Amino acid sequence: MVPPVAVSPLIKTARYSALIAGIVFGKRRYDELKPIAAEERRIEEEEKKVREEQEKIAKALAEASEESILK
Amino acid sequence: MAQAVQKLVAKVPTLIGAAATYSKPRLATFWHYAKVELVPPSPAEIPQAFIGIKNIVTGVNSGRLGQTTVKDAFRNGLVCTEVLMWFYIGECIGKGGIVGYAV
Repeated sequence: MVPPVAVSPLIKTARYSALIAGIVFGKRRYDELKPIAAEERRIEEEEKKVREEQEKIAKALAEASEESILK
Repeated sequence: MAQAVQKLVAKVPTLIGAAATYSKPRLATFWHYAKVELVPPSPAEIPQAFIGIKNIVTGVNSGRLGQTTVKDAFRNGLVCTEVLMWFYIGECIGKGGIVGYAV
């Protein structure tokens, strides 16, 4: 087996500081994006309600105004 | 159908035993290398890291870095890429998922 290589301290510090920086960055970005996504979901739900009401009204109108001899 | 499930459930202990015997030597070699190569820097090694950075800066200023061979430059590029990948692994750990943010 090849003997394990001695890694230079610069590479070791760089690796682990990059790891810690990544963890901090990921946690911060997640905390920042979470309320934005909740807000978007709320707006989407409100718009969906409005759209569904309009569709119901349009459907009722269409049903009332359709001319068919089968009724 | 029920008999097939029973046979599968009876085989699970042997499967686990086989997985353990397969992975133990491989885990041992991984640990053998990781103990030396993947260990975090001890507090005494951190000043050496700053000295290393200073060496690189003097190397840039004196033009010594212009003399690196393509092979060395390629190797250094691979090492830098590996250090950058550790950042993305940290980001995956921080955001609690592998692909995308679970908001």
